[in-house]
Amino acid sequence: METTNTTIRSHCVGTTAVVYASDYLNKLTGERIERECRRQLDSGCRALVIDFSDTELVNSIGVSILLGIIDVAERNGAEVVFSDVNNQTRALFDMLGLTRLVAVANDENEALTNLSVKQPPPVIN
Amino acid sequence: MNGSSSKEGVRRVLGSVKRHEFVGRSTELERVVAQASDKYNGRGLLLLMEPAAGVSELLRQAYDEIFNQHSHVVPIYFAFTRNETTAVAAAIEFLNSFLQQYIAHRRNDPELCHLALTLQDLLELAPPDDFDWIRQLVEAYERQRFSKDDKALVRFCLGAPQRIPESFGRPFVMLDGAQLAEQLNGSVSLGTEILHVFDRANVAYVLAGLRRQILQSAYNAKLDFETLDLLRLEQLSVAEARLLVEQLGQRQHVAVSEEAKDLLVQQFGCSAFFITTFFQAAREKRTGLISYLDCERLYIDELLGGRIQNYFADLLEEMAPSNDLRLALVRLLWESIAGDQRVASFEACRRRLHIQADEMETILQQLHIYEFVNWDGSLVEFADGPQAWKDYLKTRYRLNLMNEPRALVVAEALADALKRAPHTMARHYRQVAKYELRDLISLFDCQSIPSVLLNYAEFSKRWKGARLEEIMSGMGAETERLSLPQVVNVASAASFNSDLRQVCDERRCLVAHAFDSGFYADAREIVWLVAEVDSKTEVPTELAELWCDRLDRLAITAGFRRHQVWLVSSEGFNEEAAETLARRGAFFSCRQQLDLLSDRLGSTPAPAVRPLDDANEFLVVVPMGEDNELLAANTVEQIARRLNFRPEAINQIKTAVVEACINASEHSFSPDRKIYQRFRLESDRLVVTISSRGVVPTNIGGNVAQNESTEPADVSEERRGWGLKLIRTLMDEVEFERVDEGTRLKMTKYLRNSST
Repeated sequence: METTNTTIRSHCVGTTAVVYASDYLNKLTGERIERECRRQLDSGCRALVIDFSDTELVNSIGVSILLGIIDVAERNGAEVVFSDVNNQTRALFDMLGLTRLVAVANDENEALTNLSVKQPPPVIN
Repeated sequence: MNGSSSKEGVRRVLGSVKRHEFVGRSTELERVVAQASDKYNGRGLLLLMEPAAGVSELLRQAYDEIFNQHSHVVPIYFAFTRNETTAVAAAIEFLNSFLQQYIAHRRNDPELCHLALTLQDLLELAPPDDFDWIRQLVEAYERQRFSKDDKALVRFCLGAPQRIPESFGRPFVMLDGAQLAEQLNGSVSLGTEILHVFDRANVAYVLAGLRRQILQSAYNAKLDFETLDLLRLEQLSVAEARLLVEQLGQRQHVAVSEEAKDLLVQQFGCSAFFITTFFQAAREKRTGLISYLDCERLYIDELLGGRIQNYFADLLEEMAPSNDLRLALVRLLWESIAGDQRVASFEACRRRLHIQADEMETILQQLHIYEFVNWDGSLVEFADGPQAWKDYLKTRYRLNLMNEPRALVVAEALADALKRAPHTMARHYRQVAKYELRDLISLFDCQSIPSVLLNYAEFSKRWKGARLEEIMSGMGAETERLSLPQVVNVASAASFNSDLRQVCDERRCLVAHAFDSGFYADAREIVWLVAEVDSKTEVPTELAELWCDRLDRLAITAGFRRHQVWLVSSEGFNEEAAETLARRGAFFSCRQQLDLLSDRLGSTPAPAVRPLDDANEFLVVVPMGEDNELLAANTVEQIARRLNFRPEAINQIKTAVVEACINASEHSFSPDRKIYQRFRLESDRLVVTISSRGVVPTNIGGNVAQNESTEPADVSEERRGWGLKLIRTLMDEVEFERVDEGTRLKMTKYLRNSST
């Protein structure tokens, strides 16, 4: 089921949450994404896909918030994958070192596929 | 001939020369004449003169011009002279001159200004319409004269111009030599009284005199500076002084060679007073001024027994009336100038002269207004003064205190002057032929220059032997750039350490106090120590190191916390010297680099807030916050497309603009909460300037990017410092520019490699 946190779209695929970044990733939208990611992690998600298919511009505050999200996910033992990042944003992420911390997939499906390979199957009691 | 008509049809009334012979000062003359107009009615003009700059002829020319207009403005010119000994005598003389000049103006008869007339004579010469008020004035004066109230009499005389009936004319009073008015004996301070009377009289007036004296009198009289205009009168320019020399040569029938003309201009420091005085002497002695020897021989004659001697002797006599005191004063002055002790306490000076404190104060006050010393109330700094002053003191010292034979003193003074002449001219020609280092440094003003201009080794490797056009074009494409500081004060290094006088011309070794990026903060304060090293070939290592050591020592002694050495040499520096200098972090340039630098600094002044230049410039103002940086980003995107930037480059520019706007919003404490964006399209680049008002923390901009006193509150705060890093990475050139309030970030993106 897809939910929205104000203007943040997200949905879950198994234990993976897919969160959609908006067209401009700044302080305001970044904090909304962060809140949504925390909410998903608190709900038991084990992985996060942040999808940038709508994102045209990212500023440095947005990037610093993304780093905060990566920190939080790491503390929760969850993996983060970025998907559908355009070239300019990718260059920016490279420049600021984000791509050393997260995997980047071409699109959401690729991100989910990669995560399902890596993630161990759920334990059935 | 006074009162005669010149070729231009302007009668000479008080002027010593015809209008077309009056050299320089045309702007000042216009300004003084304008003061007589209705526009300035009731306002005073203080004419602040540098010592020996000459002001009398300027006022006399202004007088003639106004007189010849024959309008309702009645010009009155009065020069205080050393002939008057009391304020009362000077005031009575003023009254007499006033009436004489008034009647001359009313009768349109310039000759009347030059006759010796009593008040009774003037009454008889008064036009019938004026007779009654002048008679009343004379009668009132006679009554006042015997009232035994000096102050009232002085005020009465000075106030006489106000008594002109309105329908007969409006007085315009020009007073010359205000410093002499202060030196008159008696119970009345005439200078202050003059200002009191004219300030309250609603009469336009000019008070001319030594700048320090006039300002002091104005403060003493508690004048409202809002109602006063100030005009500063400095020495003539070199070109004007040379023209004066030429004209004096013709007028005084003194043959002068071209070399002598240049020497006299330099030797007298462009002083109209000294040059004019010198030519009067040449005429009297029928001496041609062809060789340096002709000039210096006459100079020494004048110095030891002519007009120059009289001028300085009169000054010293006013300061120290008794012979013993005068000699002690000469000793104090010369020994201080010749020795290393340029600064002394008031008490030390007083003890050396064996006089009371009030007497010492009077002497120092006089020396101060003539700018022979700088006295702040406690410390006395002995200034150089004009060359003639130093020569006068030295010869007096040797003759009167050391009792050396006159013949010896004369011979050696002449020899010294002759030996000095070529050096004086060499210094001048060097300045004319080239840049003035001080001016060049003053132009720094946070401008960005190719770094190679301050690195001779690199410059030599890449450009040595290349054509000038090629080099200049290459400079334009240089991407490795250096942001110069904003220089706030430049002084001779010898002012910090007098030993340096022995090794370098004062103008060629400078200390420049500056701020990186124009931010006035401790961390940005830097002192540039700049020296021109004399060498006919590339400077060798030993000499380069010697200069580096000298300047480093100066920095330590003077307590400069951060300094930058910059050595300049005509032919550059040899390879080893260059390596040494680079290792020591010094900048080093050759003459050609300086020429290029001069060209760049002169042609690209630091941008100030200015209107849009043309159709290629856009100004956008957005309120801070509310994602308004996106508006700027979208605007710059449209503009960048016009230059055919690649989409990636456009995105980089947009991101940089966004970051700059965020910076402006977060850091500026802006009072108007607005971001000013200027986008300028040039043929090969886009220049974006983002500015905002407000005080900016010191950790913004420049290379010293961290504020040591504030640690980031947490990791995310630390991460928030990425904006500038991003901007620097995304754009080709980034520089912070100084503005008094706030900051301005200028970013440039070049089209090269960016176009499709």
